[in-house]
Formats: sequence, structure tokens, C-alpha cells
Amino acid sequence: MGKGRPFLEIFTCALKEDYRFPILEIFAFFFALGTFVFADLGAYAQNGEALAYSLVRTLWGFPLFFIFVVLILKNVAYGLGSDLDKGVIQTLFSYPLKRRYILTAKLLSALGIALLLFLGIQIFGLFLLAPDVILTYSSTVFLTCAAHLCSPALLLAGLVLLLTLRLKRGGFALIIGVVLYLAFTIISPWAPSIAYATGSDLALKIWAVIDPNLALQRYYLGTIWFPSETWAPSFSEVLLYLGAGYLIVAALFIIGYVYFERRLGI
Amino acid sequence: MRWITLLGRTGTVILMVGLALVLFSLISSATEYTPGFREPISPEEYQIVHSGVYTPQTGFQISVESTDNVHVYLLGVSLLEFDNWKTRLAEAYPDLAWIWGDPLVMPMIFVREAYPDLDAPQMPDITDLDDRQIPDIMDIMWNIAVLDKGLQTHPEIILWESPSSTTLSHEFISTDELYITVMVANPSSHTVQVETKITDLTALARKQRVIVAARLLIPIGVALAIPWLISSKVRKGTLRQRNSS
Repeated sequence: MGKGRPFLEIFTCALKEDYRFPILEIFAFFFALGTFVFADLGAYAQNGEALAYSLVRTLWGFPLFFIFVVLILKNVAYGLGSDLDKGVIQTLFSYPLKRRYILTAKLLSALGIALLLFLGIQIFGLFLLAPDVILTYSSTVFLTCAAHLCSPALLLAGLVLLLTLRLKRGGFALIIGVVLYLAFTIISPWAPSIAYATGSDLALKIWAVIDPNLALQRYYLGTIWFPSETWAPSFSEVLLYLGAGYLIVAALFIIGYVYFERRLGI
Repeated sequence: MRWITLLGRTGTVILMVGLALVLFSLISSATEYTPGFREPISPEEYQIVHSGVYTPQTGFQISVESTDNVHVYLLGVSLLEFDNWKTRLAEAYPDLAWIWGDPLVMPMIFVREAYPDLDAPQMPDITDLDDRQIPDIMDIMWNIAVLDKGLQTHPEIILWESPSSTTLSHEFISTDELYITVMVANPSSHTVQVETKITDLTALARKQRVIVAARLLIPIGVALAIPWLISSKVRKGTLRQRNSS
């Protein structure tokens, strides 16, 4: 028996646990409805790229994105946490499969399918609502999705993964994850205020490393209506901040993998 | 069995997306009503009645009714040029940048070009009642002479100009990325009541696309889900029979 079959076994088991009928269907319904209801086609824009950015950004706003974050946090914290708590992971370790593949199968189900659903419905919705914008500015749409996905979605998923592995319990990690998300949305607008008050771009640049969407927002929406000292990054800087954001996310997941392989204590 | 489950769950997801589209089209039908707004326009002045960014294949229908003859201008400027205008205004009036939004850019640029002497006004000091420069700009901005001068300088931005009339209707579908401004001018020497109604043609087209997509998705979802629903029902029935026996 090769590695593929046990991997698929674990993956299908995780899928069955994470998306019991009708959880997937309920989330699909709300994602689809939210995409069409919250898409703001009259979004403020200086040019076509800014219009595409603003349009996609409206879909990554509070109600719709919060549902998505809750889904992935539930899957990562509750799914993996209950497996650790009930000893299911111990059974999975008896499979002829390296530990990292077991975690990959779990994460693929928890994050991969949720992402596929969320992004698939969003892209489909945008094609129906504004096909010209999406086709003309596909790179802007891609970058906007990538920036929003990096932080807070994947960043929080990584933190919650570490917390779940450390605590070996999902409930508390899930609560912490939701609290962190809310804290993130509250703290986020502080960076421009601090920059404005101090007259320094440092707060903006530091926050842009954690949340690359800030750099993207400054790049696309500009700073024309703000005082001249505020920060307007170039496109290469935006890519740099996006890369830095993904490096942090990758570091969190690598720590999670290392912990799962060597320090789980099972 | 796993293939049936996979296809079945995919089908139920597609079905739910289709149902969400149906619900959205019902919601958008309920909110489709476009209320008209009625307001007076002072003698020899003009007003902006609608503005916004329009991409290709997006548009609106405008209906105007007034108590006396008015002119309606549909003006469109490329987003690049609009951006240049904003930059020029921000440079000319840096202290005023926070006062106006996008809709005021066009009248402000007309004022700037017609009266270049009104340069870089200072912010009004609320304790100094003699500081009248900002109110001056705002007063002049809506003067029909400023509009005429602006249109003479930028004839290329006029997409449609109505004849002098009391009842007008016009449909506009953009062929380019434009910042559109609709202005109603009152050339008479007395105040005119103007009622304007804007119907978003883009929303109608969008709703049509959503309905077509829902009509496709729902049958596909049902077709994929039925075998899974039947097989899971049969399996549950078999299990129940085994348990009872």
C-alpha cells in the first residue's frame, strides 16, 4: 500500500468530520448570498484598478469574511482539537504515514476546502456581477484576495493551530481565535491614526508587515485626500509587504508542523 | 459509494448557491424602486443630480421633470483625466482637500479655470467673519456662466446635451471607464422645481444574469444530489431494518 491511500483515508475522514451535512451547504448558502448582497459596485475609486480593488475588498468585509474565519477556525481548532482530545490522532499515527502528512491531510480539509468554497463562490459571483472589471483587472483581484487571505485569515489559522497543538483542546483555541480576529479588526484602523498623529509612517509600515492589505489599500486608493506625509508605497513595495506577510504565515505553519512531528508528546 | 457522496455533496452545495441567487434576485427586486427626488434650482444656476464611476456595459436611465425649461448635461471624463483634475485641485487648494468629494471635482475645476485668481484660499477662521473666500468659491461654483465656460473649455466631456425642455428622459450605457456627472441647469430668471429619477440599468442586467445562473445551477444541483439522497435513504432504511430484526 502506497502513501496515497492512507493519506486519502485520513483526508476523507477529516472531510466527513469538518463538513457534516448540512454544514457545508449552510456556509455555501451564506457565502453566495453574502457575495451578492455585500458586493459594492459603486465603490469609491480613482481608476479601474482601484475600482476592482474596492469591489473585492467589500467582499472581504466584516459579515462575510467573519463567517469564513469562523469556519476555518472551527475546523482547525475544533476539528483538530477534538481529535487530539479524544485520542483519534493516536489512532491515525498507527497509519503507515509520516506525521506531517497526517497534519497536511487535516489542514487540507480544514483550510483547503473552506478556501475552495469561499474563493470559488466569490470569483463566480464577481464574474456574474462585474465580468469586465474582473477580466480586465484580474491581477488586482488576485493580489487583493491574496492580501486579505494572508492576514487575518491564514495568520489567525496558524496561531490557532499552534494554540490547539499546545493545549490539545479546541474550544479554548477557537474562542481565542475569534477574540484575536475581533481585536485585529479593532486595532487595524489605529495604524493610520497613529501615523497621522505622530507624522511618521513607521506605524503604517509595521502594521503592513502583519496586514499587507494596508500597503495594497494605500497603493490602490492612494493618499491624495490625506496630508502629504502619509505613506504611499510603490508596487514593488506592496509585493514586498505581501511576501513578508506570507513569510510570517509560513513560519507559523512550519512551527506547527515541527511541533506536531516532534513535540506533541503522543 | 464515495463517488456518489462526493457528487451528491457537490450537488447540494451547487443547489444552495442557486437558492442563494434566487433569494438575492428577490431581495434586489424588492429594493429596485428608485425614488425620485425633487428640489429647487435657483435662477441661472445648475446642480449635480447624479455622479459616479461607470465601466463598459454599465449605465442608467435618467428622467427629469421640471416646472420650467431646463438643460440636462451628461458629462463624462476618463478616470485618468479625473485623477489629474483631483491632483490639480489638491495642489491648488491643499487646505480644502477634505471639504469636497468626487462629485464636486468637476464644478471645482470649472471654477478654477474660470477664476484662476481665487487661488489657494486659506481655511476660514470661524472667529473671523470677514474671511469669505470659501463661501465665494461655493457661490460662484453653481453659477450657470461657470458651467458654460467649463463646457466651452472641455467640449469633449459632453456625452449628451438635452434640448431645453420640461420633460426629458435619456438612457446611457458606458462604452469606456468614465466618471459620469449629470447636471441640470436652470437658464431662466426664476427658481425651477426639478424632479429627477435615476434607474440603474446595470442592476437590471446584473439581475438578469443572476436569474439565468440560478436557473442553471438549481437543476444541476438537484440532478447531482438525488442519487446521493436516495442512496443515503436506502442505507438508513437497511440499517433500521437490521436494527429492528
